[in-house]
Amino acid sequence: MKVVVTRSGGFAGMRVTWQVVIDNLPDASDWVVLLRELPWDEVADEEPQPDRFVYRIRLEPLADAEPPQAEREATLAEKQLTGPWRELVDKVQDADTPADPPAKPHPSHQHK
Amino acid sequence: MTRGTHSPSHTCRIVPPYLLARIAEVDDPNWQHAAAAARASLLRDDPFRSIRAPEPHPHAPGVRTTTKPGAVANSPQRTVSTAAGVEKLPGKVVRREGDKPSSDVAVNEAYDGLGDTFELYWEAYHRSSIDGNGLPLNATVHYGKNYDNAFWDGERMVFGDGDGQVFNRFTIAVDVIGHELTHGVTEKTVGLQYEGQAGALNESISDVFGSLVAQYAKRQTAAQASWLIGEGLFTAEVQGVALRSMKAPGTAYDDDVLGKDPQPSHMSGYVETTDDNGGVHINSGIPNHAFYLAATAISGNAWERAGQIWYDTLLGGDVPSTATFAVFAAATVAAATARYGADDSATHDVDGAWRAVGVVPAG
Repeated sequence: MKVVVTRSGGFAGMRVTWQVVIDNLPDASDWVVLLRELPWDEVADEEPQPDRFVYRIRLEPLADAEPPQAEREATLAEKQLTGPWRELVDKVQDADTPADPPAKPHPSHQHK
Repeated sequence: MTRGTHSPSHTCRIVPPYLLARIAEVDDPNWQHAAAAARASLLRDDPFRSIRAPEPHPHAPGVRTTTKPGAVANSPQRTVSTAAGVEKLPGKVVRREGDKPSSDVAVNEAYDGLGDTFELYWEAYHRSSIDGNGLPLNATVHYGKNYDNAFWDGERMVFGDGDGQVFNRFTIAVDVIGHELTHGVTEKTVGLQYEGQAGALNESISDVFGSLVAQYAKRQTAAQASWLIGEGLFTAEVQGVALRSMKAPGTAYDDDVLGKDPQPSHMSGYVETTDDNGGVHINSGIPNHAFYLAATAISGNAWERAGQIWYDTLLGGDVPSTATFAVFAAATVAAATARYGADDSATHDVDGAWRAVGVVPAG
């Protein structure tokens, strides 16, 4: 299972992506618990606020996973990035260096 | 939260008399609006009369006085707070209106930037603050850790410190402050949705008046201005001069790590995307460039005729919250016609500017 976090918007309007494959991580079971607890279907539509970030969080199943993994996606306004969502984004930012296009500093330093 | 209403018993600080007097005496045609506004202020109501005589000392401090019921504040009422590195608002108040400068550069930049923005709206368009009714201006600096952003949350401007490697502190460029405050003006006038073309117009209006705040503060003509948004925000490590260029969208930065400025300058380059509420910070390049073309064709100071037309457009009632570029373009031509006449060169310049970026004014 790959967890992909894409942040767009902000005053600069730059897109930054962080991702991590969790299956072989030593704390994979913690990730699974966190991902299962996320309220994927309960993200309310939020009126966009000027210059704030927008987060797209996506679970990408690995092709050869057994049993097959579910694909999920949620889009959150910056204001909605609280509780377990914030925990997940912090965890992904900590676990991986950014791609597409990367910011120069390690973005895991953000939102601490 | 102080919002919307202006209390009659409200205390506010009036423009220091020496400043009003100095502006009122300016003969320069570039300063016509400001000088007229200052002269009007000097003559208008009691608070001003009381500061007119005796002759003000050139170094006199600002005079604190009470605004009469119904009078609009002609000077800002600023409060700058610090979030001290956490993502919590509003934070602790560190500088109020009239307080001496802080030892904290971000606090002073925010305070001065709020003042510069108030000044443009008041002196060029006779608008008192965001709501036209003296709304107090609140800002919070040092929001979050390495926070690479600045935003308007409906009640205050919020500024991050940047990460220090890609971004410097967001108070560093006065046009960023003007940009954020203008989101408040847009919210209280045309109320453009923050999505798709309406969202890109919302962004562009903030860039236009943000740039005009900087141009007015530096007294630069359209020909002299850089037309850059966020100049100085990038650190020296980044290959780029600013975040956006109204003069040449798509050229503000080209960095081996960050990539290239993605802004189009013409409808043929309009970007369809689901990111960033439909690419509002990307497609704003098109209306931004239209304003630049109009202002440079009209020539002189951009905040005068071109800025006045855009400002009139916000107040004119012809712009629905879901406006497309073509609808907004038509509203600017209508505003130019109403103020200067259908045959005036400014009206032709505005119409031509939109056509040059591939937008045909609707209807």
